[in-house]
This record gives sequence, structure tokens and C-alpha cells, in this order.
Amino acid sequence: MSHRLDVTLALEVPGFDLDATWSSEGGVAVLFGPSGAGKTLTLQCLAGLMRPRAGRIVIDGRVLFDSAAGVNVPAQARRVGYVFQGYALFPHLDVAGNVGFGLRDRPRAERTARVAATLDKLGLAGLERRLPRELSGGQRQRVALGRALAIDPALLLLDEPLSALDAPLRRALRNELRALLSEVGTAAVVVTHDFAEAYRLADRIVVYDRGRVVQSAPRTELLWQPASEAVARIMGIPNVLHGTVIKSAPDRIQVLWRGHVLEAVNSPRHAYLPPPEAPIAFFVRPEYVRLIRKDRVAGDPQHHMNRMLGTVVADEDFGTTYTLRLRLDTPGPPAQGDHDLEVEVPHLVYEILDIEHDRHWEFSIHRGSIHVLPV
Amino acid sequence: MTPETISALSLSIRVAVLATVLNALVGVPIAYLLARRRFPGRALVDLLTTLPLVLPPTVTGYYLIVLLGRRGWLGGPLYQATGWSIAFTWYAAVVAATVMALPLLVRTARAAFESVDRDLERAAYTLGRSELRTALEVTLPLARNGILAGLVLAFARALGEFGATIMLAGNIPGRTATVPLAIYTAVQTGEDATALLLVAILTVLSCLVIVASNRLGARAT
Repeated sequence: MSHRLDVTLALEVPGFDLDATWSSEGGVAVLFGPSGAGKTLTLQCLAGLMRPRAGRIVIDGRVLFDSAAGVNVPAQARRVGYVFQGYALFPHLDVAGNVGFGLRDRPRAERTARVAATLDKLGLAGLERRLPRELSGGQRQRVALGRALAIDPALLLLDEPLSALDAPLRRALRNELRALLSEVGTAAVVVTHDFAEAYRLADRIVVYDRGRVVQSAPRTELLWQPASEAVARIMGIPNVLHGTVIKSAPDRIQVLWRGHVLEAVNSPRHAYLPPPEAPIAFFVRPEYVRLIRKDRVAGDPQHHMNRMLGTVVADEDFGTTYTLRLRLDTPGPPAQGDHDLEVEVPHLVYEILDIEHDRHWEFSIHRGSIHVLPV
Repeated sequence: MTPETISALSLSIRVAVLATVLNALVGVPIAYLLARRRFPGRALVDLLTTLPLVLPPTVTGYYLIVLLGRRGWLGGPLYQATGWSIAFTWYAAVVAATVMALPLLVRTARAAFESVDRDLERAAYTLGRSELRTALEVTLPLARNGILAGLVLAFARALGEFGATIMLAGNIPGRTATVPLAIYTAVQTGEDATALLLVAILTVLSCLVIVASNRLGARAT
């Protein structure tokens, strides 16, 4: 089953204006973007809790909303499972009462069986009589998920499903949730403002910014080919830089940046051919900058390309990695305030190279690690 | 205890209980609508249900006479048709107590409804519940303690009602003289023992009400 989802929404609320169009071929679509971008509003429109001024919502060929045709299926009849931020479990009902809430109109025997099967699938068996306040955060999340799944939804919506949890639990449940969503097979839409979470859960990521969809792409495509500098910034990519085109070809682009000529691979999907002298934005992932070891003679000169010299002006310890701020020796103002590049190195490398005391380094960036952004 | 004293006590209890029941039937739905719905005339309903709290009780009583008295807007046609008027009957005491107690219940119950997380109601909608069933199965049970606290306050207010009652129901011993009115009469006629007894009973009842309302308030959190 494909579970294709097509969404077009226009909605104006005081101080905010949502105008979003995207599609998903089933699987998990993650709505990603800063808070206040319209992600939760979109979920509420999908669930029928908020009525768009105009638009169309179609799941598997079933029209839930179509302003042109005057169709607006009420929330009660949409069969859309909604996991709310903070879970919204009914505090006066026990676990079985919560999970069975959407089944009250079914015969008692069927209801009992479905509740038991759902609790079993989610590892909640034995907790039937507990009240929500007697559960751990992870258990609450699973009860909320179970309540939404028990109605056999055509579409599953999850609003920041992990944000109420502590960091270690969040990571464990991220994997659990991913596994569960693919096991259930229901089309799902997940809202998050955390890119790691979005990437882990998604098949497709829809990037929201101020009520607009700025990119919708499979997750790997988004990771390596953000559609614009704005998308790269929303994703929180460090080292978004600006240079000038020297020459461009379908496979290569030469860029002048801070006095250096950088060789970059052109985008494989969209070969950009900006004219010489045109401004161009690109990004370099901090973990792809290589420090060149001083104790070894470079063999193949092709091994290191885009070589530059610079000084570590600051470093931040993140426990397993260090983030170094490098300032180039080239004269002129640095590209990012007090530094030109952020570089990430594992702890082991930091210690072996004694970066704490040895601050001046030559480094290189492979041309495949410089990603040009469309203007 | 004189027959008048006993009659005042039993009348007061009857009036207060009935006024509380009417408050539950009328006030709780009004409080829900004010908390959850936008509808035309909402501001007017809000104003009318708050006014008796602010107006002097005799003014509220005056309006009740204008509305329900023998020549009133509603009472006039009723009197013409049936020859019966609510004025100066014990039903009038119930009406006066209900109207005077309504603001306390509506305000307390409304706050209780408003404190229920709207996502709980939204969750119920996505799980197939209509608005009415959601209100009955989710909102009402979760607002229960606040509503009960409001009913306790309404009961206390109804029990102590004086000004509007004397306007609409009069102060007829054995028929419409509730405990507060009987206390007034006893003091005016120098029956100090009766006054003291009724005052003591009302004081004890009021203390019980405060304790009950505090307990409910504590459980609500």
C-alpha cells in the first residue's frame, strides 16, 4: 500500500499566515523547522481540529478536505490518530481506559481484545490499571501512541513526540519509535524542531519556515543538498560561507574565498552554472575538514586539496568531540565573526595532535566536501 | 424552638437545596458555554450572570419583581392567564436565592472548565467523540472538583440570601420567612434567644461550608 498524502493549506490566523503545499509517498514525513513556523497548525488541519481557509487534503485517494468542492470531513470521522505534544492522556482514566477510548462504540469483546493487543505490541501489558500520573515519561509516550493506533488510523500524527523526555531516554525512544512506525506501516506525519530527530525518523523531510514550505525532499537529499542558504541555516549547518565564482562547469565549480581558490564538486542533481564573478554560497561540514599532520610527509599531492593555513582561536569540548574555531592566516576580516571555519575533531585526535598547545595548523578540504548552494 | 423557628429552618434548607440544584442544571451549562464557545450574546450572558454579585441584593430583587411580579413582564401575563403569581410564595424565595447564587457557581465552574487542557478535548474529537460527549466524558469529570466547590459556595450564598428574597417573597412567618429573615424579625421584636439560636446555627453551617470548599479546592490540584 502506498499511503500517498497530498496536502495544500492556506490559513490566516492573527499574526500568522500559513501557506503550505507538500506531498508524501507514504512512510514517515517529518515537518521540520523553527517553532512558530506553522508545523503544529498543519497537524491540526490534517486532523480536522482547525479548518483551513482554502486547500485540499487527500490521503490514499480519500478526500478529507477540499475547499473548492466544499468537503470537510469532521475530526470525529477522519480516522486520524493524533499523538499530542505532552501526550494529552486523560488523567482520570487508566491505561486501558485511555487506549480503549476510541473504541467505546465497538462491542465489548472486540474492544477488550484490541486494547490487549495494542498494549502487548507496545510493551505495556500489566499496566492496564495504572493512571497516567503513575507512569514514567517513556510509558506515557507509548500509551499516547497506543491510544492513537488502537483506532487503526489511516494517518498517524505526532507532535514533538520526544520533546517531553530526558536526553538519554529520547535517544533510546527515537530508535524505538522509528522501528515501531515502520512496523505499523501507517503513513505518519511527525513534527519536530530537532534536526537529528527529524533525520532519524524521516523518510521525507518537509522544511517549514514562517508558514511556508522551503524544501521537501527525501532525508539524504536534504542533508547534502539544501535548496537554499535559508534552508541550510534552519537545519543548523555550520560554516555557511560566501565566495565568488571563478569558473563553473557541470561537474566542477571554482570559488574564490578569503584569498584562496577552492575546488568544489558541482551539485550532482542540479548542475549550477553561475557566471564568473557571481556571488555564491556554500557550506563545509565541520567533521569533513582535515588537519594535516606535521609529523608525516604528504605522499600523493592529490591527497590534500584546497590547502589553507590557520590558527585555532577557540575550542569547545563536547565530551566526545572538540569543536575548533579556525582563523585563516590570510589578511582581511574573518568570515564568521572572530573565525573563518568551524572544525570538529574527535577527542582522540585532539589529544594525539596536542591541539591544546599546538595552535597553528595546515588543513585541507576535499572538493566533495564543499557543497554549493543555489542563490 | 417555636414553630416559626422550625419552619424557618426547614424552609431555608429546602430553598438552599433547590437553588443549588437549579444552579447545577442552569449554571454548569452556562459556565461551559462561556468557557468554551464563542456565540452571539456571549458578552451579555457573561454580564447578566455576574451582575447579581455586584448589584445591591435589593436592586436585584427589584428587577425580579419587574420581571416576575403580578404586573411583571413575565409574571403579568401568567397572572392574567392563571390568577397565580410567584410573588410572596416560597417559590419566589427559591428564585431569588438561585439568581443571587448563580454568579458564584458560574464563575467558579467556568474557571474549572477553562483549566482543563484543550488538547484533552481535541484528543477526544480525533478519537471519534462529539462535542457533547467530550464535554460529558472528559471536560466535566476533570472540572468536577471546581464545580463542586462552586456548588458549595452557591449553597452557602442561597442559605444566607436576604435582600432579594424580602423584595420578591416578602417576610411572611411560616411561609416565606427564611432563617436570615427570621433573625431580622427576632431582633426587631426583641426575641433575643431565637435570634441567638438561629445565628449560631447559620454560623456553624457556614463554617462547615468553608471546610468543605477548602477540601475540594485542595483535591482539585
